Amino acid sequence: MLTTCPERLAFSYLRPGSVDEALAMWAGQARPAFLAGGTDVLPRARREGGIGALIDLKRIPELDRIEQGGDGGLAIGAACTVHRVAVHPLVRERYPVLSACLSQLGSFPIRNRATLAGNICNASPCADGAPALLALEAVLELRAAGGAQRTLSIGDFFRGPGETALRPGELLCRILLPAGSAGARGSYQRLARRRAVDISSVAVLVARLAAGERRHRICLSSVAPTPLRAVEAERVLDAEEPDSVERAAELAMAACAPIDDLRGSAAYRRRMVGALLGRAVDELRSSRQTGVPV
Amino acid sequence: MSGQGYDWVGQDVERVDAVDKVTGAARYTADLKFPRLLHAAVVRSSLPHARLLHVDLGPALSVPGVKAAVCGRDVPFHVGIYLKDQTVFACDRVRYVGDPVAAVAAESPEAAAEAASRIAIDYEPLEPVFDVERGLEPDAPRVHPELGRYECVPWITPEPGTNVCNHLKVRKGDFDAALKRCAHVIENRFAVPQVQHVPLEPHVSVARVDLAGRVEIHTSAQSPFTVRHLLCACFGFKHADVRVIVPHVGGGFGGKAGINLEPIATALALRCDGRPVRVAVDRSEEFYAVVVRQGLQASLTSGVDENGRVIAQKMRYVWDCGAYGGYGVNVVRAAGYTCGGAYAFDHVQGDSIGVYTNRPIGSAYRGFGMQEIHWALESQMDAVAREIGMDPVEFRLRNCLGPGKATVTGQVLDESAGDVATCIRKVACGIGLDVDRTDPSGGGPIRRGRGMACAVKAPAMPNDAASSVILKFCEDATLELSLSGVDIGQGLRTVAAQYAAQALKLPIESVRVHNLPDTHLSPYDWQTVASRQTWATGNAVLRAAEDCKRQLLETAASALGRPADALELDAGCVRDPDSGRSVPLDRLVMGYLFEDGHAVGGPVAACAHFVPEGLLFLDPETSQSKKPVAKWTFGAQGVEISVDTRTGEIRVDRVVACYDVGKVVHPSLIRGQTFGGIVQGLGTGLMEELVLDRTSGRIANATLADYKIPSSLDAPRMEAGFLETPQADGPLGARGVGEHTMIPTPAAIANALVDACGVRVHSMPLTAEKVLAALDAREAGREGGHRGS
Amino acid sequence: MTTQTGEQISIRVTVNGRVETAELRADRSLLEWLREDLDLTGAKLGCNEGECGACVVLLDGRPVNSCLVLAAEADGREVLTIEGLGRAGALHPLQQAFVDRAAVQCGFCTPGMILCALGLLGENPDPSPDEIRRALAGNLCRCTGYQQIVEAVLDGAGRMREGART
Repeated sequence: MLTTCPERLAFSYLRPGSVDEALAMWAGQARPAFLAGGTDVLPRARREGGIGALIDLKRIPELDRIEQGGDGGLAIGAACTVHRVAVHPLVRERYPVLSACLSQLGSFPIRNRATLAGNICNASPCADGAPALLALEAVLELRAAGGAQRTLSIGDFFRGPGETALRPGELLCRILLPAGSAGARGSYQRLARRRAVDISSVAVLVARLAAGERRHRICLSSVAPTPLRAVEAERVLDAEEPDSVERAAELAMAACAPIDDLRGSAAYRRRMVGALLGRAVDELRSSRQTGVPV
Repeated sequence: MSGQGYDWVGQDVERVDAVDKVTGAARYTADLKFPRLLHAAVVRSSLPHARLLHVDLGPALSVPGVKAAVCGRDVPFHVGIYLKDQTVFACDRVRYVGDPVAAVAAESPEAAAEAASRIAIDYEPLEPVFDVERGLEPDAPRVHPELGRYECVPWITPEPGTNVCNHLKVRKGDFDAALKRCAHVIENRFAVPQVQHVPLEPHVSVARVDLAGRVEIHTSAQSPFTVRHLLCACFGFKHADVRVIVPHVGGGFGGKAGINLEPIATALALRCDGRPVRVAVDRSEEFYAVVVRQGLQASLTSGVDENGRVIAQKMRYVWDCGAYGGYGVNVVRAAGYTCGGAYAFDHVQGDSIGVYTNRPIGSAYRGFGMQEIHWALESQMDAVAREIGMDPVEFRLRNCLGPGKATVTGQVLDESAGDVATCIRKVACGIGLDVDRTDPSGGGPIRRGRGMACAVKAPAMPNDAASSVILKFCEDATLELSLSGVDIGQGLRTVAAQYAAQALKLPIESVRVHNLPDTHLSPYDWQTVASRQTWATGNAVLRAAEDCKRQLLETAASALGRPADALELDAGCVRDPDSGRSVPLDRLVMGYLFEDGHAVGGPVAACAHFVPEGLLFLDPETSQSKKPVAKWTFGAQGVEISVDTRTGEIRVDRVVACYDVGKVVHPSLIRGQTFGGIVQGLGTGLMEELVLDRTSGRIANATLADYKIPSSLDAPRMEAGFLETPQADGPLGARGVGEHTMIPTPAAIANALVDACGVRVHSMPLTAEKVLAALDAREAGREGGHRGS
Repeated sequence: MTTQTGEQISIRVTVNGRVETAELRADRSLLEWLREDLDLTGAKLGCNEGECGACVVLLDGRPVNSCLVLAAEADGREVLTIEGLGRAGALHPLQQAFVDRAAVQCGFCTPGMILCALGLLGENPDPSPDEIRRALAGNLCRCTGYQQIVEAVLDGAGRMREGART
């Protein structure tokens, strides 16, 4: 049955001042959820209900920082908005590929509210925050009540649509960008019906590290249950042979598992993985950075 | 020289509502506060086609805070503008997912939603009809078995016993005989899906029925008087007991024409003891539950002689009217008598057929069927030109209408109809179709192409559709202008003020246009549709101004002791040119008081109307008529696109438009209208389509996340030019253009795609996936010909 | 630090320069509170899911979709709505540019459009047309085709830079 009125959400709102307090609140509430930017959780709560308490992370000072890590990398707190990350001088200078991808996430008002941590915790197959973090081999710092803490590679984080490796009550606190990935350049190609603020039907990031043996990173989204890397295709690009791009495209197309939906057929999507990979390599070679199609 | 500086028509004056809208002062229906407001929830059918066995309102009424619940048996009244095929709520049958079945009014939206969820409905599912092909089959389920019993205007011809809600036939000359003489015969089929208007403001209506039985409606609507009239016909109210007020409206595009949520709000308000009830749809319901644009399946056959003249043309337009055709039947009709578009075909066989399906309700949408038929016709004209090896621009010029040429209904156009040939030439030149080109992209993956399409439309309205205005002066000689045409964004109030200020030689800021059309206070207007307001209301304003002027001159004649016809209205006064004596307006507008104390004249005010003259009905068998419509507006658009042949993506880089508007009343408003129409056209051309889940009958993409309309980044560079061939009965020569701006865009893009890479896509929208499939098909050699330059 | 549980929450928000306090249900959006309780109806409800931009207001100077912000989240923050920007006779230069450039048609998107543009100009006082289009891509307009809106923002930006110099 369809009705005109939005359901009331009827949740309580809590605002902890520290991570420990946030974790304790979680433990004490029925059907709790962490609230970062709210751009996904609020519409979902309105659609589906099922949330008893929202625990707002935005006033926790330790989550609201972007700072240099001990190893020379960068640590991004879970409450940092996408826009803040995208325009941060250190991100722009050292991780321009992240900046380029994030500037294509949602709209300006959404980027002012949504957080990078929230974007990946939603674990949408089409998350625009995921490809760059996969390419940079980001490490996630997770904490749980009682002082438990662990780190997880971004590659081990996504488990399925809407599913992550987070345990109940566990909080993603910081996203760590390794020093070794600094200087990576990339081209992020996304296909959608509209040129902005549209969920992609296919997105391909080709990134190239500043140095090292295994320099290429190929990350795909919207073409599998989770965002993923096409590692075999990366190795082919590393080889830099005349037919590398074609072969990498073939391997990337083989690595994905798209579905038919409103945004495109599986066959088209798979083929577009190859096409966008080629377009990304072309753009990367022509040294443009923006990743804006056509 | 008297009056200099008051030539407001043609000037970029400030919009009369601009400050209201940039400060947030402008109030739209949902912004209004009502004491003791009740909130409604509508229970809608979850099945596309079913017998409605029982509706149990009881459980809803026991929810705390619920004031009233109502369903079909409580108000079994028919409603509709042309064909009364719908009831306020479904009575014995539901016909689409979203069909209103019941509604509740409660103290809060939560209580209303809770109560609505408890209403129990028993259905007996029926086989649904999801497309027109099935709908036309002899054994198809009948969506409206009662079709023969519905009340209907005489010029709509439903076919009882079938799913055909209207069928207009155009027969001119002898198509079959002419076709045999043709050197080339080219046939094609084209398709357009259902799309939605997507006004930024969703539909909302607030109704109150006071204890004396008077009805007051505040509503987001294009047509306050038509809402009143249809509401009275539905519920049996006296017109004078119903007051319809239209605040600022956040876009209409046809979706707020006719009558929409008002009967539901009224049915509830009748049961709420004088309290107001608000019915508001959310964005999702806006997509599927109110109205959409019809789908179209078109089949065209063109017979061409060796000189590139189309001498025989057959057109069959089959419309998916959805579940109800109350308004859509007239789209079918308009598409019929305009079936030949901007072209002069001698031998014509045209059929425009409306078919019921179990989809959302097809209704008026900016262009009223014209974008859809132009998609087919302008694609066909381009395809025919390429097939016979003629330049598409030249081919259009050889076949287009013009003075002395006859339309498909046999109307011979005069000079006043406008000049489509010059529009074609200007657009071809502006977009660069007039020069030999080689693709600058060479053999790379990005191909560029250019294409064009023409547009024509006439107002589709009853022959006696009227507009009227009231002008009255304030004591300080400020002029108040009252009208019931609705400013849905197009700038009607500003345009009306320009005509009044020019006619009465007033500063533009001395004309105030009453903000709210209100059937109790403002004069009659049929509807704000059909690109008719500048033309109809503009004429009414000029007539009323003439009356005011006469009154001012008569009073001044007494004051100055001169005959009225010796005097002239000047800026701020009436002057005697012989003596140089004058009387300021503020001493005339309330009557003139002589020094000895006696007075002449009185408050100056006038009411005037405009109704088009000389219209004649179509012949019922052939649709021939010397003057079936009040006016035509012609134009053309050219587009330049880039196609990424790796992905099939089309980017529209540039659009050039030219329309013959008779008179440019306000340059920046008409530019804005044109750009807005182009981008709306681009949306339907490239990305918009309501997708039906054929299992459930639901619209699968009824959110703004899933149904995309163009953003600022999708809008191309646009240039707009205008011709000013005066309209004989237009106010200072003006004719309408609001809808025409979105008509040719998709076809022009499709034609540019052929130019760019030699493939034609026959169905809108031109998604990347479709384009790539067409490129594949060409590569596979399955589709030859049509190769672009 | 607020750790209220339960459905009611107290907030204190500076709205258009004025401190407003309220007790309200925790699940109410900033948009609902502005429109229903404060009668600041310039922010519009167009989709309630952050897709249309008609509800954009500035929160601590940044454009946000107020339908996706809980009123509770605005506690202690500053909100600017269109009503706080300018008024007849004293329009903000950006509002004046929207008037002068005929960037307004039905007007439903206009408040959100102006505030989103203002947020852009706060970060980038001299944007290119492309930067303006990118910043406004989440503010849908069905009437204008955007061209005159972009012209208005360029014009308004110039006026604001001019104003800042003098």
